[in-house]
Amino acid sequence: MFELGAMLDSFGAKAVEDVNSIGRSIRFIWSGLAAAFLSIFHPRSYALTLTQMNIIGVKSVPVIMVTGAFVGMTLAIQAYDQLAFMGLEERLGVLINVSVVKELGPVLAAVMLSGRIGGALTAELGTMKVTEQIEAVRSMGTDPIKYLVAPRVLATLLLTPFLIIYADLLGIIGGYFVSVVQLGINEQAYWSYSARGVELWDVTIGIVKGFFFGGAIASISCYKGFYCREGAEGVGRACTEAFVASFISILALNFAMGVIFKAIYNTLWPLRILL
Amino acid sequence: MGLNNTDISKKTVNSSGIIVLQNLTKKFGDNLVLDNISLAVEKGKTTVIIGPSGCGKTVLIKHMILLLRPTAGEVYFKGQRIDNLSEKELNKVRTSFGFLFQGGALFDSLNVSENILFPITQHYNASEQRNLDEIVKSKLAVVGMDGYQLQYPEKLSGGQKKRVALARAIAMNPEVMLYDEPTTGLDPIRSDIINELILKLQTSLGHTSIVVTHDMKSAYKVGDRIVMLHRGKIIADGDADYIKNHPHPVVQQFINGQVSEEDLAMLRMKGSEFKSQFAPSDFKE
Repeated sequence: MFELGAMLDSFGAKAVEDVNSIGRSIRFIWSGLAAAFLSIFHPRSYALTLTQMNIIGVKSVPVIMVTGAFVGMTLAIQAYDQLAFMGLEERLGVLINVSVVKELGPVLAAVMLSGRIGGALTAELGTMKVTEQIEAVRSMGTDPIKYLVAPRVLATLLLTPFLIIYADLLGIIGGYFVSVVQLGINEQAYWSYSARGVELWDVTIGIVKGFFFGGAIASISCYKGFYCREGAEGVGRACTEAFVASFISILALNFAMGVIFKAIYNTLWPLRILL
Repeated sequence: MGLNNTDISKKTVNSSGIIVLQNLTKKFGDNLVLDNISLAVEKGKTTVIIGPSGCGKTVLIKHMILLLRPTAGEVYFKGQRIDNLSEKELNKVRTSFGFLFQGGALFDSLNVSENILFPITQHYNASEQRNLDEIVKSKLAVVGMDGYQLQYPEKLSGGQKKRVALARAIAMNPEVMLYDEPTTGLDPIRSDIINELILKLQTSLGHTSIVVTHDMKSAYKVGDRIVMLHRGKIIADGDADYIKNHPHPVVQQFINGQVSEEDLAMLRMKGSEFKSQFAPSDFKE
């Protein structure tokens, strides 16, 4: 009986702690996103945001381009046999390019970003937390959310869509080189079918997904850094948790946006005839 | 002369101290760190808070600037209650404080000059400030670090980091200075430099200082008043002479650096008993 009581105590305490943690994370993410939006109207914060844009965006371009290129090339290699068996190999371009711009480009680029910048954000802010630098910011009458989180969230929000464009571009080019140059598919047919199959809508939703992915990566990574436990082990664990949480968020957001965009497309598509 | 805890609680009710902690309690989960503490900090004086490691000294000093919020009790600054203010309102109050953190807490991504200018540029438009370089130079000169403006914290020694952090803490000419273990980790000479700087700042700028330390030499040198914490409560409060002659055995044990009887009993265990307590049985002798 005593053990059952102790077990219930422990379970209850854990449940309360988890609910507190969820509430705290929602409040933090909301504050971070709000501060990021409001910082657009405060020119004094532009220098901080531009610095983060260089670190987060500019320096991620090479790895994002490599990711995109390999996505396109691998799709070409893997899908060719199935299409050639049905005599449809000239339509390989449609399959590669729609997949790249709509799903694989945004998702895999976001996963790469969550590993690269998400880990870096968590480690940086976590180290600041364990060395009392965040408390030092507060002690000098400055809001650490505005000073540390907002520039990072805004930079990631604004630049992830552009990085996805880079990933898409290299995915298309990589797919083209393997399909046309290596596998010998007719170039004119490859691009002709692609142009008919890939719509502006496909490209747009891939880019719009970037806003949400970028917001999730930056918010979660900053939160994990702010609330990491003491010591090197705490910072390391926070980096791992940030990546896992960002990754799951990307997959969940991708699914949710897929459902929403499909519903919007099905509603608006018939109205296109009226234009 | 000097005050015991009862005198303190009676005094605080009518106290006009610049900082007043009233019935302050702080718990972390089930861990009671501060137990119904009442303390009034006198304006223009240096109050030193001593106590064993882990007794809550840092937790106490962080409550004065509301870096931590109390579980119960009230905090007053210049007669105004501040523990119930929002973070935005507290940001204005905090500009009256300077805080020297134990490790310095310098911002790694900024050089020395940028670290010192940080509080100024956060609260004032930098482009409207004249002579920012002169401000940095004057603050660094106070702590003997002029010439290090372009260095980054990673290139500085522990003592240098503390001095730059001190220069940053006084950048806004605060009314109250808070020092968290200012001499910890420093050699005796560097420790004395920090003590001298604390005294110099207090006498020349006239601000109120609160110093948290377990370095008794430092406490006697800089403190007008010494308060000792033990198990979440204040057990002694007075000037240096009062503390040195305090009858409480825990106070005497701490200020003289004496091991407790329990710890001595363990250390005096006979060889075989000691080995059975501490030597793993699968190790060969």
